[in-house]
Amino acid sequence: MTSDNPGRGAAATPPAGAARRRAGATAAGGRLRRRVGTVLRIAAALALAGGVYAGFAPGSATAAKDPASLSPAGQEGKALFDTNCTSCHGPDAQGVAGKGPSLVGVGAASVEFQVSSGRMPMARQEAQALRKRPVFTYDQTRQLAQYVQELGGGPQIPEGSMKLPGGTPEEQAAAVARGGTLFRINCASCHANAGGGGALSSGKFAPDLEPANDRQIYAAMLTGPQNMPVFGDNQLTPEQKREIIAYVHTLKAQEPGGWGLGKLGPVTEGMAIFLLGMTALIFTTLWIAGKS
Amino acid sequence: MKKRARIDVKALPGTAANAADERLQVARPLRAVFNKVFPDHWSFLLGEIALFSFIVLLLTGVFLTLYFDPSMSHVTYNGSYLPLRGVHMTRAYETTLHISFDVRGGLIMRQMHHWAALLFMASIVIHMFRIFFTGAFRKPRELNWVIGVTLFIVGFLAGFTGYSLPDDGLSGTGLRIAHAIMLSIPVIGSWTANSLFSGEFPGPGAILPRAYIAHVLLIPGILLALISVHLGLVFKQKHTQWPGPGRTNTNVVGERMFPRYVIKQGGFFAIVFGVIALMGGLLTINPIWLFGPYEAAAVSAASQPDWYVMFLDGSTRLMPPWEIRAFGHTLPPLFWPTVVLPGVMFTLAMAYPFIEARRNRDTAIHNLLQRPRDVPERTALGAMAVAFYLVLTISGGNDPLAENFDISLNAMTWAGRIGLLIVPPIAYWAAYRICLGLQQHDREVLAHGVETGIIRRLPNGQFVEVHQPLAAPDAHGHTELEYTGWVVPKKMNRVGALAPAIKGFFYPVEEPAPPALPQAERRELESSGTR
Amino acid sequence: MTVVDNPHGSPGLATAEERSRFETIVAGAREDGVEIVHYEPPFPAPGTRGERRLQRIVAGCFLTTGGLATAFLVTYIWWPWEYDRDSLLHNMYTPVLGLTLGLALVATGFGIMIWGKKLIPHEVSIQERHDGPSSDHDRSMATSTLLYMGDEMGLKRRPLLGLSLLAGVAPVGLAAAAPLIGGLIKDPHKPVEGGTGSPLMTTAWGPGIRLTREDGTPIRPEDISTGGQLTVFPGVPEGHTNVHADSPTLLIHLRGQDMAELRDNLTGTNVGATWGDFVAYSKICTHAGCPASLFEQQTNRLLCPCHQSQFLVTDNAKPVFGPATRRLPMLHISVDDEGYFVATSDYKVAIGPGFWERP
Repeated sequence: MTSDNPGRGAAATPPAGAARRRAGATAAGGRLRRRVGTVLRIAAALALAGGVYAGFAPGSATAAKDPASLSPAGQEGKALFDTNCTSCHGPDAQGVAGKGPSLVGVGAASVEFQVSSGRMPMARQEAQALRKRPVFTYDQTRQLAQYVQELGGGPQIPEGSMKLPGGTPEEQAAAVARGGTLFRINCASCHANAGGGGALSSGKFAPDLEPANDRQIYAAMLTGPQNMPVFGDNQLTPEQKREIIAYVHTLKAQEPGGWGLGKLGPVTEGMAIFLLGMTALIFTTLWIAGKS
Repeated sequence: MKKRARIDVKALPGTAANAADERLQVARPLRAVFNKVFPDHWSFLLGEIALFSFIVLLLTGVFLTLYFDPSMSHVTYNGSYLPLRGVHMTRAYETTLHISFDVRGGLIMRQMHHWAALLFMASIVIHMFRIFFTGAFRKPRELNWVIGVTLFIVGFLAGFTGYSLPDDGLSGTGLRIAHAIMLSIPVIGSWTANSLFSGEFPGPGAILPRAYIAHVLLIPGILLALISVHLGLVFKQKHTQWPGPGRTNTNVVGERMFPRYVIKQGGFFAIVFGVIALMGGLLTINPIWLFGPYEAAAVSAASQPDWYVMFLDGSTRLMPPWEIRAFGHTLPPLFWPTVVLPGVMFTLAMAYPFIEARRNRDTAIHNLLQRPRDVPERTALGAMAVAFYLVLTISGGNDPLAENFDISLNAMTWAGRIGLLIVPPIAYWAAYRICLGLQQHDREVLAHGVETGIIRRLPNGQFVEVHQPLAAPDAHGHTELEYTGWVVPKKMNRVGALAPAIKGFFYPVEEPAPPALPQAERRELESSGTR
Repeated sequence: MTVVDNPHGSPGLATAEERSRFETIVAGAREDGVEIVHYEPPFPAPGTRGERRLQRIVAGCFLTTGGLATAFLVTYIWWPWEYDRDSLLHNMYTPVLGLTLGLALVATGFGIMIWGKKLIPHEVSIQERHDGPSSDHDRSMATSTLLYMGDEMGLKRRPLLGLSLLAGVAPVGLAAAAPLIGGLIKDPHKPVEGGTGSPLMTTAWGPGIRLTREDGTPIRPEDISTGGQLTVFPGVPEGHTNVHADSPTLLIHLRGQDMAELRDNLTGTNVGATWGDFVAYSKICTHAGCPASLFEQQTNRLLCPCHQSQFLVTDNAKPVFGPATRRLPMLHISVDDEGYFVATSDYKVAIGPGFWERP
């Protein structure tokens, strides 16, 4: 698998109607653990989960149009999809008018982002799907993603670690600094300089980056979930995406100046000076002037 | 033995004092200073917080100037904060990073300086509320009130220039908005902005050095001068005091300046300094390394000014999109909330003592404070002003609020627009009613005594609550007392047999007027006070 | 009037010597118009248990200060202070400094305060105020002196002196003020070197200038995915720096049907400004100059994070919410022979916040 985005690289516009209204709705899959390192382990997990699941899966897998064309993981994904996602996204992910968009062509990255962050399945229709506890396990998420990928292609998250490829500490630092520059010009306007997120129009918002893991950040850049703009691989190369992710890690790191007050900037600082500083000092004045 | 000149250590202070007095004749003026009487009440210490944080600002500020360079020339960062290595930035931002990461103890100094600035402005505002709501601005203290409002304005400028200096993302955004505000002034706008920035924004590197010299020399000089006059006037005119036994319009009841009053002040200074140091060490403020250098194309969500500027940001956000375009000229909507509004607000604030005096045809000298409840109209007006200011300030931070409490940003803006119109009148009405209610309750207690919570059943079956009268009945059996403008006991144990439930802490220094005192004796005490 | 009214008897002082010294103090205070009406040492008899306890508390405070101040010094000197992001120890440097210094100062404050509150005699003193105007005598003397000064100068008798002084001093004042203000004044409409037209009305963009990224590389249409956006700078020297703070532009790749909607809506100078499904708007908000760069790719809104003005991308960036009154100017773009985006002209209208001379 590569991080390339077939159908994106050359054409200025993707297949009409395929990726439209991507944001508020995509489909299934979940991932809990953060550190599943290697392709090998993923493959093993997939095989195991697939095997276990086969024993319990409802017979719907056989009802697929052309089940033979799906990979084993894709078949598992279809089974999950049929039980959990069709009410909004329709059979074979063709979409249901007024409820959920078609997922043909959105790609595995989109599915993995939405499902692993718990945004899908949605609890209810609202301004923006919210992050919550994922419904599906990591393996199930990957199966769903595989199914949607096989339905219509689309962007995929590259396998393997999202860490910087390595190099001397100086090179690493330079990469992080480049990531910072990219972050400030591309991401900070919505997610804020400290990554805490920010409000958008009419109840929408750019989420806090704290709970997002590397693969989710990568997938978000690649697919532009909900109202986020798309940062395709020609705009931000996979390497640059990794640099940005590395910079986001520094934002999550321990800070040298004490408690960060939620890193919300002058608003919490202003509250702190009144609620902590002023309050403490006014109590002191009460004590000073009190009759001893 | 006698020939050898030996310094008698014990006699040294005496000798020095003698020498000083021989030259300066200080004995009498010094004694007068030692003996000066200050009244004691917790609310009289709020201004001191501002004074002490100003001292901390000077101390930490001097430290920062040793390392900071306001130059806007371009450099490539090569300091120890890795995530910015190799990034192009101005020298101003680089030196601020240098202070934060490469100067031993530099970060805590920066943070203390910033917290002290926030505290300075916060205590000015709280102090101002105290002065306003107790009527301490009345004749003869109008001038000091005007100086106080000016101190807020100058402090505001000090804060804004300081906020701009590091040239980080927030600073630059703030400066850009300041530039746009200058541009919005009719006729002279573009000339003013262009002259101050020495060119189109951000100009050829003039604005930061100019802001710097204003921030470290001109503004602190003005602040120092104004603070000196402010304190000098308090000293000359003597502090106001609350009414109470023995306290009249022509005396000051309290403690002499030395030793108790000064010792308390010294202790309080240490505590204010300590609180600033604690906040400076434990709470991050303005982590400029996260904001990156200022780039005209980059901005962060939730870009806010410091809290004392937030009311302007709020007014700007709430302003409807009304622009006047005529005869080839433009009057941008930015002009009204950022130039006209603060102008009106500060003018009204400065003029208030004169407005009130004129309204009440009041030319008397007032040294006794008024309880807010006793002047419902002023209290209500103040509540209205505070509500107005609060709505604006909250609107200045409406995007983090919207995000953190899951409210629509557009709804927040509309709530602010509507709130700005309806909350102040509601605050006026509510404060007025509360004042009247409190007044009435005071009068009730004075007339009928304190509620005891004891219910008695009369022989006819009727239930009545027993009231404990505050005074012994006079010849006619009446226990009614006059209101003296000070706290009326509301709990039985304050005049009853039991000791106060809470000791000292929340109580005003002076005991309330002992109302049980017979009228005659009270009169005698008062007259002895005035002599 | 009595000097002291406390239940412990006259001033509450133990020895006759103390009492006589106190009498001196009282007499001195009286000369300053201060009457000490209540004076009560908290511990009239020396060495009571309560007094010793308070002494111990105050001493404890001061010793705590000493300990904490020493801890501050030790931390300051020996703690690993040099920046190391991953070291918890380093990250605790500033907090530990703040904790030790802050608590040391607070402990001093408490010590001093307890000393002042509990161990120093309580007193109530009354000082006379002398408000109101000066005495008539003083006033008339001062007024006469002032008026006589005028007569001595003879301004009334010799009006020419006054007038000529005024005429002479006014230019001196202006001459002093002129360099202070005059040096600052700079014409905002004077073209910059190599430029034409008022800098307020123009930017670095112009015909044939490439759209570039922040690193100076040019941009091909395929570099931006549908629903994507990119901040672009004029491809001139220092184009991405703050030297051209008026030039940052947002290049947006709209979806097909959104672009069709925009094409239908194009008005005025915006007609023909777009290329393919791409549109470029000035990033500088027309309200207060912040970068209006929060692009919502579903709702096609651009939000400015400073004052929350919202612009509709599919309708010439018309302001639809917030305080902004004017559309974001649109940059006319095309693609050159090598397949890179170029501007075909400068902005047709002044970018950024409004000002008086703006038509």
